[in-house]
Amino acid sequence: MSDAAIDAIGATAQGRFGATAQGHFGAMAPGHYGASASGTYGAAGAGIVLAPATIATAWNVQGDPSSAVFTDQARTMFGAPLPLVPNTTTRGAASAILWLGPRSWLVLQELASRPVGRADDVTQPAEEVAAQPSAEFDAHRDALSAQGGALFDVTASRVAFTLRGPHAATVLAAQCPLDFDPRAFPPTHCAQSLVGHINALIFRHADAQMFSVMVARSMAADAWHGLCVASASTGYDVAPASPLSIV
Amino acid sequence: MTQPPRYRLAAGGHIDRSAAIGFTYDGVDYKGFAGDTLASALLANGVHLVGRSFKYHRPRGIFSAGTEEPGALVQLARGARSEPNVRATTLELYDGLVAASQNCWPSVAFDIGAINDLMSRFIPAGFYYKTFMWPPTPRWWLRYEKAIRHAAGMGRAATLADPDRYEHRYAHCDVLVVGGGAAGLAAARSAAATGARVILCDENPSWGGGLQDPDAVIDGKSVDDWITDTTRELAACPDVVLLSRTTAFGYYDGNLVGAVERVTDHLAKPPPFAPRQRLWKIRAGAVVLATGALERSIAYMNNDLPGTMLAAAAGTYVRRYGVRPGDRAVVFTNHDGAYADALALHEAGVAIGAIVDARPPAMLASALPQRARAAGLTVLVDSVVAGASGKHHVRAVDVRLRAGGATTRIDCDLVCVSGGWNPAVHLFSQARGKLRYDDALATFVPDASPLPIIPAGAANGRFDLAAALTDGHAAGHAASLKAGGLNSSAIRGVTAVDGRETSPLNTEPAKAGEVPSAGAPSPAQSLPTSRGAPHANALAVAALRPLWSVAPSRSSAKRFVDFQNDVTVADIALAAREGYQAVEHLKRYTTLGMGTDQGKTSNIVGLALMAEELGVAIPQVGTTTFRPPYTTVTLGAFPGAECGVHVEPTRRSAMHAWHAAHGARFVNAGLWKRPHSYPRPGESEDDAANREARNVRESVGIVDVSTLGKIELQGRDVAEFLNRLYINRWDTLGVGRCRYGVMLRDDGMVMDDGTTSRLASTHYLMTTTTVNAVKVMQQIEHLLQIEWPELEVYAASVTEQWAAVALAGPRSRDVLAQLVDIDVSNAAFPFLAVAACEVRFGDARMPARLFRMSYSGEMAYEIHVSADRGAQLWEAVMAAGVPFAIMPYGTEAMSTLRIEKGHVVIGAEADGRTTADDLGLAALVNPAKWCVGKPLLERPALTLPERWQLVGLTSCDGAAIPRGAKIVVDPDAASPNPVEGHVTSWCFSPTLGAWIALALVARGRARHGETLWAISPLAGAKCRVTVGPPCFIDPKGERLRV
Repeated sequence: MSDAAIDAIGATAQGRFGATAQGHFGAMAPGHYGASASGTYGAAGAGIVLAPATIATAWNVQGDPSSAVFTDQARTMFGAPLPLVPNTTTRGAASAILWLGPRSWLVLQELASRPVGRADDVTQPAEEVAAQPSAEFDAHRDALSAQGGALFDVTASRVAFTLRGPHAATVLAAQCPLDFDPRAFPPTHCAQSLVGHINALIFRHADAQMFSVMVARSMAADAWHGLCVASASTGYDVAPASPLSIV
Repeated sequence: MTQPPRYRLAAGGHIDRSAAIGFTYDGVDYKGFAGDTLASALLANGVHLVGRSFKYHRPRGIFSAGTEEPGALVQLARGARSEPNVRATTLELYDGLVAASQNCWPSVAFDIGAINDLMSRFIPAGFYYKTFMWPPTPRWWLRYEKAIRHAAGMGRAATLADPDRYEHRYAHCDVLVVGGGAAGLAAARSAAATGARVILCDENPSWGGGLQDPDAVIDGKSVDDWITDTTRELAACPDVVLLSRTTAFGYYDGNLVGAVERVTDHLAKPPPFAPRQRLWKIRAGAVVLATGALERSIAYMNNDLPGTMLAAAAGTYVRRYGVRPGDRAVVFTNHDGAYADALALHEAGVAIGAIVDARPPAMLASALPQRARAAGLTVLVDSVVAGASGKHHVRAVDVRLRAGGATTRIDCDLVCVSGGWNPAVHLFSQARGKLRYDDALATFVPDASPLPIIPAGAANGRFDLAAALTDGHAAGHAASLKAGGLNSSAIRGVTAVDGRETSPLNTEPAKAGEVPSAGAPSPAQSLPTSRGAPHANALAVAALRPLWSVAPSRSSAKRFVDFQNDVTVADIALAAREGYQAVEHLKRYTTLGMGTDQGKTSNIVGLALMAEELGVAIPQVGTTTFRPPYTTVTLGAFPGAECGVHVEPTRRSAMHAWHAAHGARFVNAGLWKRPHSYPRPGESEDDAANREARNVRESVGIVDVSTLGKIELQGRDVAEFLNRLYINRWDTLGVGRCRYGVMLRDDGMVMDDGTTSRLASTHYLMTTTTVNAVKVMQQIEHLLQIEWPELEVYAASVTEQWAAVALAGPRSRDVLAQLVDIDVSNAAFPFLAVAACEVRFGDARMPARLFRMSYSGEMAYEIHVSADRGAQLWEAVMAAGVPFAIMPYGTEAMSTLRIEKGHVVIGAEADGRTTADDLGLAALVNPAKWCVGKPLLERPALTLPERWQLVGLTSCDGAAIPRGAKIVVDPDAASPNPVEGHVTSWCFSPTLGAWIALALVARGRARHGETLWAISPLAGAKCRVTVGPPCFIDPKGERLRV
């Protein structure tokens, strides 16, 4: 295959420099995949709305669930008990706790103020992000640490996208091996799996047709591209970012 | 309206005569109808000759009406969508379709390659292997192969990039039913009635499979009405998914079935954004295999002439496509089933020359032969077709008594042959189900399977309609119960297909063989009833008498077993004589069943003939292994959307956009894209890297180190944990300090290195190399969960949380002082200090972590901020650095700087075979404590003086040190030249103005000052080098501490 042909399919061989911006689909329908501006894309009859979602704070709690002093401390701190059943969540007043593992949880807090998402490039962060309450975090970490637990700030680690609409589960099923039947994956449950070949934390909202998908920040562009491609055959709307709400 | 093609019936079939479709075959324009396949449309136009065979270039016609087709393989011409070896029998006609014959030149009617047929006695089975392997050197086979492939070639692959999209879909169900014929529909209906989640798939565009008997009645309805009503019922059920044009091609562990759905292949103009095909990965609680059966041929002389086809295929062309496949037919069979096809042909106006039946008269007592006789058809009992004649089409057959004797010639242009039926056991066998040879059916049928897989209907050897319906119904029900154990949804609140609440209990299947009286419509969940058997597709193989081949009158005449790969009866006999008697050897020696059809019509015949040759029973020969895929699958369907740059995910740092906007050339580091260098207009990458490195030594540079692995550790036992993990000591590290550490694998070899900082008394941050970030995290989790669960240590990867820059060079403090809110003087913030601070620039306030550490050997700092501030931090540092001529630098300059400094890199110097001592890091190994890997460091071979040790090399003559060079004493010594070591990293040092390298050299530390040679026989390059210590610059480390 010629170099030109390799470039045309967007392959980058080891030792070749420069990421080819035009991907495999670039030559076919530029602008229709990996859309970054608000609008309607893909086939007619949009059955899904894709949007970035802003995470206010995301803290990873770790500790021994059999230790009452630890679990009590966590409950007091976050206003909700740590979920002990795998893949379930609990809710406090302005936060939610997602089960990640037998000794690990993710506490998501919601933004007090509502940032305005950008319509021209939805993959860019919303214009007003609340300052990170670093002193508050340190106090929480020390309090949990005193009870034998630990607290890690992972707010910037993940980027969230929401999928909403009758085709949301179908679009995920194109990329994720989990069973999205509501009987197997009920509303308010979460799971860690793959979306395409990217690790993802998936949350199903109380609205069973809505999911939030959280992926590593460094792979967010690829994950977004994958969601757009998977949505193209049903058609999709792209909406500006809004605060992530774990309901 | 133009005249319909000559062989098209005036009425009947599932085609739409109001929708004419134009297509082109071998440059000639034809007309067909919606609902046609390419094969049926060609037959309607009287075209039989569609290709040439693989080896002998014999004329090949349309042999079947389905996926088993061995002969009618065509080249579909659609530019970039061109596709070879497409079965004309499954290719749905669309307007403007263009296809051509393949494996013939200059044309299908006059093919030069046909000379192979005349030469055939010189090219028997195994001929190529025997002949073209000589002489063994210099690898002549490679040259022969090209010519042979041209002569024997199939179609040609498209040379352009595939323009189509392919999707994947994961699906989950309680019961997967493969095959939508009588048994499959019955199974889906009974499974759905229990409330199970059901997926029903079928490879055909329409439902019903082989169910086409116009006289049969099911549930009081005609076959067509029953199929329509049943599929409508199923489609209305929310827990049933119907997938037509979907081939379940492979069975994998854990009841995972791979299926490919052809979404737009049948459309002239696919709608925008629709995928061409969709690959389904279906995880099923239980699987019902209602995959039907495949008819087999009989090997007689010239049984490959166009105009010869399977009897049921001829029947299908009449019934489904309204096509007469000929004017005058001879039917050759050994069982009752083919009589139904003979009758269908007769009713369609095809003259029946004779039905040649190999069985004795006593076996012809059943209804079908009687109906044939009543219709006035000639039935020749105890008779066989000895041979066929014709050039490009069959003109006549010679018939004789089975026992032998004189032949009688019967003129005909169509021979319909049926030697019996083989259940399509492919998926069952792929799932390691055992097969059993059934003497009555003379074929292999499913026996036992340890998995929840239930064969049903013809796939289970149940060939008549009533039995298939009963079997399917019971299988669907049983599958639902089996799945209940695996997937509870089947036994939850259930909704029947008719909307009524029901339970598995009142859908008890009828006893096998019990067929209730016909007539009244039955509730959806009850057993379908039928009359008008035998089975609609003439699957009644009752009273079969096995017949595999007919003895030839001329020994040179060919009797084909495998039509696609040109394997004859004589080839099988030859294989037996030459000792290739095991069935897997037979397959490979003769290529029997190795074509794209995988021997669907030929395998059983071939192994029956081998059994005859060996004088053993057929089960003793056995079958070859069935492997996926059942039919060919387009390669593009497997990667789906994960192709091109998306073959793996790309990781980009928070500063990626800045790098790209400022001319960075990127290099892959694991999945990350890292800037290699930032060439200015007209500048080469090498020059750019040298400029960037020089600038760090002389002033200040900034590099993106966000990709380094970062792991936070918390808990009261972290220091103890680090002591056990690293070779050096950690309990002495104070808060606000960091330290370099090396960790080993269990076998004592260096695994990774990096720094760990103590942020607070029980709070640490570890950094790892970019590529080992995941491996180190896995090691930590393993140790904490399995080895030392008693330690109170918690770990979290924060690689993605923090964006990081390194600021390096003699002016780095000057830049930093403008940015942070703490005192960064040498006294307040010495080498290896760590602090939390705030980066302030303009209005921006960024909480940050500041580290004073150095990779370049210069005064240097690392600044970490939350990843969402990474771009902002980078801009701030660049702006603050303007007065000091700050430049960004990439991995190439970074590499040059660290080679000058003698720092090792995991992967280059620490290549998995080096110990800390080899790398000159022995001083780090704390003798007073245990650590992972330490016990095995005591092995004698790891302390030998002749081990390869890290040294620095300097080019003596200003020549470039060749990449990947070996170290030798004498560059001109005769081979094998003793190797004394190898170069691990090399660069031109802009600081020294010389080519330098790091190398692992035997007894290296004792050889400083020696002159050796770095040679690359591959590149034909050599360079004289001086051995020295690995650190070329500031060996005392004074610049770090100023």
